[in-house]
Amino acid sequence: MRGVKNVILQGEKITRTFHQGKTEIKVLDGIDIKIFEKDFTVIMGPSGAGKSTLLYMLGGMDHITGGRVLYRDKEISSFSEKRMGRLRAEEFGFVFQQTHLVSSLTLLENVLVAGYVSKKDSAEKVRERAENLLRQMDVEEAKNRLPSQVSGGEAQRAAIARAMIGKPGLLFADEPTGALNQANTREVLGLLTDLNRKGQSILMVTHDLRAAVRGNRILYLEDGKICDELALEPYNEMEEKQRERDVSQWLSGLRW
Amino acid sequence: MLENQMIIRAGMKRHKGTLFGIGVLLFLTALSLTVVLMTAFAGNSYIREEMGRAGFGDLTAWTADVPDMEFLLESIRKQEGVEDATVQRLIFSEYEANGVESDSEGQLIPWISAEIGIPTRSRYRFFENSLSEYAKAPEEIGEQEVYVSSSMKSMMDLEPGDAITFPIARSGRNISLTVAGYYEDPFMGSSMIGMKGFLISEKTYEKILSIIEESGMDALARNGSMIHIETAEGITVSEMNRVLTTNTPLSMYTEFIHSAETIAGFMVVLQNAFSALFAAFAVVLLGAALAVMGHSISGLVEQEWKNFGILKTIGFTGKQLAGQVMMQYMAAVGSGVVLGMLLAVPVSGQISRLMVTTTGVLFPICFPILPSMGVLTILLLLSAGFCVLCLGRLGRISPMAAIRREAGDQGNLRKHMEYKRRIPAIRAKGLTFHLALRQVLTGRRRYISACLVAAMLVFFASLAGRINGWLGVDGKGMMDAFNPADLDLGVQVLGKLPAQEMEQVVLSYTDITDSYMLAMPSVSVNGTNYTANVITEPERFHISAGQTCREKDEVVLTEVLAADLGAEVGDLVTVRGNKGSREFRVSGIYHCANDMGANLGMSREGYLSIGEDDSRLWCYHYFLSDTSRKQALTEELEQTYGGDVHVHENSWPGLFGIISAMHLLIFFLYGVSAVFVCIVTGMAGARILDTERKDIGIYKSIGCSVEMLRLSFALRFGLVSAVGAAIGTLAAVCFTDVIVSSVMRLAGISNFASGNTPGSILFPGLTVTFLFLGFAWLLAGRIRKEDMNVLTAE
Repeated sequence: MRGVKNVILQGEKITRTFHQGKTEIKVLDGIDIKIFEKDFTVIMGPSGAGKSTLLYMLGGMDHITGGRVLYRDKEISSFSEKRMGRLRAEEFGFVFQQTHLVSSLTLLENVLVAGYVSKKDSAEKVRERAENLLRQMDVEEAKNRLPSQVSGGEAQRAAIARAMIGKPGLLFADEPTGALNQANTREVLGLLTDLNRKGQSILMVTHDLRAAVRGNRILYLEDGKICDELALEPYNEMEEKQRERDVSQWLSGLRW
Repeated sequence: MLENQMIIRAGMKRHKGTLFGIGVLLFLTALSLTVVLMTAFAGNSYIREEMGRAGFGDLTAWTADVPDMEFLLESIRKQEGVEDATVQRLIFSEYEANGVESDSEGQLIPWISAEIGIPTRSRYRFFENSLSEYAKAPEEIGEQEVYVSSSMKSMMDLEPGDAITFPIARSGRNISLTVAGYYEDPFMGSSMIGMKGFLISEKTYEKILSIIEESGMDALARNGSMIHIETAEGITVSEMNRVLTTNTPLSMYTEFIHSAETIAGFMVVLQNAFSALFAAFAVVLLGAALAVMGHSISGLVEQEWKNFGILKTIGFTGKQLAGQVMMQYMAAVGSGVVLGMLLAVPVSGQISRLMVTTTGVLFPICFPILPSMGVLTILLLLSAGFCVLCLGRLGRISPMAAIRREAGDQGNLRKHMEYKRRIPAIRAKGLTFHLALRQVLTGRRRYISACLVAAMLVFFASLAGRINGWLGVDGKGMMDAFNPADLDLGVQVLGKLPAQEMEQVVLSYTDITDSYMLAMPSVSVNGTNYTANVITEPERFHISAGQTCREKDEVVLTEVLAADLGAEVGDLVTVRGNKGSREFRVSGIYHCANDMGANLGMSREGYLSIGEDDSRLWCYHYFLSDTSRKQALTEELEQTYGGDVHVHENSWPGLFGIISAMHLLIFFLYGVSAVFVCIVTGMAGARILDTERKDIGIYKSIGCSVEMLRLSFALRFGLVSAVGAAIGTLAAVCFTDVIVSSVMRLAGISNFASGNTPGSILFPGLTVTFLFLGFAWLLAGRIRKEDMNVLTAE
């Protein structure tokens, strides 16, 4: 089944080192990774494994120390700041653990600004799509409020709407449920699952088992390397408990 | 104690940029204030001291052709209230140098070992040719040499080695002397005074005197003298003037008479005007510095709110915390102020040296201890007051509330939401601008300092610009203020040359569209001597109240003279000329700043009823059809008739120095304003960029380019400063003319009206706005370096 899927994003020998004084810390150590179109790929691993760092390297949010990143066969790791900006506006969507909405803009305006920047549609169409997305995300009533005046779940749903406004080729999500309560977590995961079902490629970092089972492919990262991966059938609510057991068992084998 | 020191040190290290900025602002403010104090004090006191030392007396009369000087002196000395009277011999003569003809007579003064009373040798001090310090007085002045006032450098660009020609008598009997150096003239040295002294040798003086005597009626130069009169304590100068006019023959020979106060006023009028302008600027700087400091403290408190809470949990009181912040600011303020005051000494010295070609004297700069201590105290008290005001809330917040940032963010949010309803929506078109507008509207407090500073700087720049605009490129504004009536060209016919012949020469160059005649004889009004502007067409006077003196028994007074005499329109004054005296009715108030505004206007008929007519009194004032021919016409008249004509335009040589000084001042003011804008943008902008690092990351993550974010950031400052600039411009339109007029009145100029164009009104605002925009854009270069790791959760 995987053989027919297209590779949308590929990392080759990705290395990332940080310096603390004279000490060099290698966070990512020559990682090779492929992300397939329409997959819901999940990256798991213990704290400090380099999950978020890998996500941001792949999404062009940070510079790699070595290796290269290709998006639809184009090497994006050598893109200029300007080209990278256009790529983020047109092809990538990001959802963060902390919602990271601009505090001075309402939820609707946060989504609109991203839509305007992508320049894929006319202003009217962007507005229409933003309203639809917020409706889909069930935050229509709160759309004219500031981020500080809505719940964490509402803010995160608005952040997902913002990530989706530019019709991204790939949606990056960094612990999107990390700061949410149980009810909001289910809502947000439901939204991501729905988006994936409609064909949206997603790459998510999480250490939450309930979030991980939403994916159809789980990669395990430890000490800056991908140690293992688990392929799953597309998510089905009816089999959730079974998936959790399967994933839990797999993780136990990896000393999770 | 130790813990306070540790926290103060840590705070200073953490906020070094902000504190440095505050220090620089206060440094500039203290520097400006102290420089103003020093130059104003030094200038005014030095002139009076020097005039006293050199024995110029309390009243000086310029006389000509006195037949028996000893008799005159004795009659003066005999008067009650006269302590002493001394004489300085001189020769009145026109002069020409470097192609520029003098607009008034110069005074050739013999420099000898002793005069009657005061030795001339000790009366004057000499400069090095560089004009930066004094030189030893020469042993003798050579027969072909002349020493000139240092202001002749700005007036006629005279330098050692240049030649000055004095037309002594007709038929080309000129004396040409070479400038040997400069001397300091505390009496007539300022470029604001038209009459200039020239120090010559005794032999040259005698030679000129003999030419005058030989030439008889053909003499152009005149034998004259200055009589310096010292009065007893308790007698006023006007009383003395009245006594001398009534009881001695002095008025028969007097060309003009001035009190020491008036002369000192002439000497320092320019410097005082610039000092007033500079003082106003220093006050604006102080206001701007305090506004920035107040805002900076508020910002620091907001930034450190959580840390204050933490410090409270370990036992610090609000008072202690406020004291620590205050110490940090006061250290910056104190350093800036003290450094500024110390640097003011060399700066004032430099200004004194720069101004020597305009003021004519080298003001000694000494540190005015008491006024400076006053400035220091005021600056420190104001700064401390601001600290106390801004830090008051530290005492009212509980530790946990501070840690939760209750009073910080939530208060803002409430206000934010109230305001939000009126905030315009974000639009796709002009997204960069709309984002900037949103940030400004939702974070107004952060931009208040920029707005206030913009308003103050624009107001001040407008004020200076209006004076500059009034002065004009060629100083027309000032000349109009000094001239009783408008003109294109003035020609005074001397000797036997018929006026008709001179007029034919004028007509051969261009048509004369209109003309009138003006004479400026000396008269006494209610016993005190003043210059009268006698005109053939009184309707040409610039009248501000009442009406002009159309009738034979009417006069017009300036505001200054009316105030001096306590006269109003409709009152009667007694005017005495060289033929007799009678009462005149004051028909109106007119503008003319000559003699610091102490003059009157009369019709020809009115004057001839008390004064004798003399064709040499009258100057023909022409309005020309083609004013571009003025230069060629002037040269032609001077070449053809030499000393028989005196040609002048609506200008005088000293004007160039004043205009240059004004331009230098404007340039300096704009420079300091730019430094202020740079510091304010740096301080406010850096803080905003620090607090918006996350937002920058978010915008970058959704694809906004660095250039877009940079422009948006710069636009915020552009918007805020534009609002400030609009306020400043509006305030300037409403108040500058009123403020400048009151300053100008001190110099006798009572008709100040800037009459600026829309372009010149908008220029200061646009300049300040673009400066803010530009500096903010430069500062926003930091955005390029901001990476998106700030969004990383891990």
